[in-house]
Amino acid sequence: MSATTKIALTTRAADLKNTTDDALPNYLHSLKFKQIHTHTDVRLVLGYSAVIIAGTLFYFDWKFGWEATKAYTAPAVVAYFVLNSVFTYWIWFVEAGCVFEGEGKTGKIRIASSTDKHIPIYKCDVTFTPAPYSSNPQQKLKIRAPFTRWFTADGYFVAKPFQQWLASEVPVVGAADPNNVIEEIGRGSETERVLNVTGNNAIDVLEQLKAGAKAGGGSSRRRK
Amino acid sequence: MLSSFATSHPRKLAAQLLNFAFVLSTAFMLFKGLAVIADCSSPIVVVLSGSMEPAMQRGDLIVLWNRGRDVQVGDIVVYNVKGKDIPIVHRVIKRFGGGAEPLQLLTKGDNNEVDDTDLYAPGQRFLKRGDVEGSLVGYIPYVGYVTILFNDYPWVKTVILAFVGLTTLLQRG
Repeated sequence: MSATTKIALTTRAADLKNTTDDALPNYLHSLKFKQIHTHTDVRLVLGYSAVIIAGTLFYFDWKFGWEATKAYTAPAVVAYFVLNSVFTYWIWFVEAGCVFEGEGKTGKIRIASSTDKHIPIYKCDVTFTPAPYSSNPQQKLKIRAPFTRWFTADGYFVAKPFQQWLASEVPVVGAADPNNVIEEIGRGSETERVLNVTGNNAIDVLEQLKAGAKAGGGSSRRRK
Repeated sequence: MLSSFATSHPRKLAAQLLNFAFVLSTAFMLFKGLAVIADCSSPIVVVLSGSMEPAMQRGDLIVLWNRGRDVQVGDIVVYNVKGKDIPIVHRVIKRFGGGAEPLQLLTKGDNNEVDDTDLYAPGQRFLKRGDVEGSLVGYIPYVGYVTILFNDYPWVKTVILAFVGLTTLLQRG
């Protein structure tokens, strides 16, 4: 499914983020991470309670008119806006962009994603605790990558590079999916390889490069 | 985008539906909040006729207030007549009683030739304070024309609602 998801060419960072946000839980589910939905459930309960209050008021007002419902209107409005504020607070500060929270054989993990307006870079705040929990503390990690890493030029999402990025950057994911852990991408292609080439060792360097390319897998080297 | 909507998990669907319901319910509750504060069942009214020209035009949006207000001659008020469901926006031209005797009011549209006696219920010659929904405290010209459109062409309401629904559902977060 994710390989054929297409975004319109006039793509915005928000669309890219949404598609990536959808792909993230799918990937972690495939690694047998069990998702904890508490945040979402609380949000839904808060939101729907407020809506139900509004709906009930609407119904009674429509059925019995203003005079009859006047006594209940004020408390209903107050209750509604209190719930609304709690709901907004919940989304902004507690959920705070959480895309996935769950637990698997290799540990607990919580990922919150964000992008800056008009800047096509996917940023994640990852909080994780590797298994076993008794001997490992909770750790926090901030990772980021440009969307170009897992979106083609014509807007297709490609799952593999995204999975590789996540597995290489986050230890808990990497432990669950070792096939996708790529050293090079893990270090980030931001670091430049410095080659000292003089007249004498040019052939040696060439041989080294050839050997390095074979071991790492040529396709994983990315050009910026 | 639509295909991703169709394959959404139930929680995601519930969340998107919630966004749509929230837009509607917040608008409704803001209106109700204002109604409570102004002590007026409908604190925002659209002028439907030209009987108050040149002061009020058809399509003007007016704001009413009913809390702690005594109705004076010259006030523009909105009142209901028993048996008729459309409230009328006219000016108070005569006032009787108000002290020991119950308050009685006579109204007339600025642009009308005669006073409102014919508009009242059969046998009724004056309005009571309770008939008055509220007095005008402010107005915004032209804004209310949308409501007139809704009244004259009810399908516009459905189209707008569908449009709001679709945009909220297809948006995320």
